[in-house]
Amino acid sequence: MRHHQQNILRVLAVGMLVAMGAAQSASAQSATAATPQTPSTAVGYVKTVTGEAWVTTAGQRAKAVPGTAIQIGSQLKTLADASLGITFKDNTVMAFGPDTELTVDQYLYAPAQGQLQLGASLLKGSLNYVSGVIAKLKPEAVTVKTPTGIIGVRGTQFVAKVEDVQ
Amino acid sequence: MSRVHTTPWSALRLAVVAAGISLLAACAGPQSYVALLPSPDGSLGKVVVQGQRGEQLLTRAQQGALLDGSKPPFDVSNEQLQRDFGAAMRARPIMPEQFLLYFETGGLELTADSKALLQRIVERALARTSVDMSVIGHSDTQGAADANEALALQRATAIAEQLRGLGLGNTVMAIESHGERNLLVPTPDDTPEPRNRRVEITLR
Repeated sequence: MRHHQQNILRVLAVGMLVAMGAAQSASAQSATAATPQTPSTAVGYVKTVTGEAWVTTAGQRAKAVPGTAIQIGSQLKTLADASLGITFKDNTVMAFGPDTELTVDQYLYAPAQGQLQLGASLLKGSLNYVSGVIAKLKPEAVTVKTPTGIIGVRGTQFVAKVEDVQ
Repeated sequence: MSRVHTTPWSALRLAVVAAGISLLAACAGPQSYVALLPSPDGSLGKVVVQGQRGEQLLTRAQQGALLDGSKPPFDVSNEQLQRDFGAAMRARPIMPEQFLLYFETGGLELTADSKALLQRIVERALARTSVDMSVIGHSDTQGAADANEALALQRATAIAEQLRGLGLGNTVMAIESHGERNLLVPTPDDTPEPRNRRVEITLR
């Protein structure tokens, strides 16, 4: 199990480096330079799953299980009757109901350097968000984009629903 | 070329369908919206929506706004929240938990109180179904910044080793040093401060 996860992480990590833009790659590396002991590109982990949910990072699709790594660029997807909960490194919590798609666009957590950013896109479905350290230290650094508007957070919990437009 | 004849029958059918749609829309409530809730710790913040058709500010619990920002905020009932977000809220992971461990001056020796806390941290970690943790070392400002950076990393590493030995051998741990850059209690340079000599453990 553990080896399997590590292999997935390795594949994802290599894919990420290829896929990420130069600027993003540089910032992500500086943000995690002090943590060589861990998979340096993981910005969060799956904690809860019911039903069928998927995490796609750099073209690699993996079925979500507790412990699946979330990285910058990861696309999260729940199918009908499924749900998913993740916790980010800064203690931000996000949970999703059925038929939901969310992408992690930006994530930067290096409080000692003042580098803080959390950007996500909710394409459809339902989201339950609880603020972590990023929103506490730098509220304007947290944004959740939706097809019709952008949600900004000032340290709190919220729920958001996006009806499928297709 | 074809023409559409609006017979009384098809007009009636159209009306029934239209009524059905508007009824459905009424039952479904607002389509794409956000609602503000208090955090699990009880605190209430704010939510700003910058939509294609306006900007709205939410400041009260269970206040909602359409994501396009087109209408003033409205109240969202418990029933509505349950219907739209029950599944998401039930999927919410246990909130992270933090512990602080303190050190005697200059070295890797934990204070007696902190030593006693280690076993509890292990128990709390094992109680979670899937746990990852961060172990972040901090120093006070006494001595050179470089040396403090290294000392704080040594402290974090030493604590991580002990936790692994106590039963967390398979836990994902992010070990970091913030040196003297992230003081719990602000002090001038070269100031011994026991509360700044610490390792912060977060269970997620």
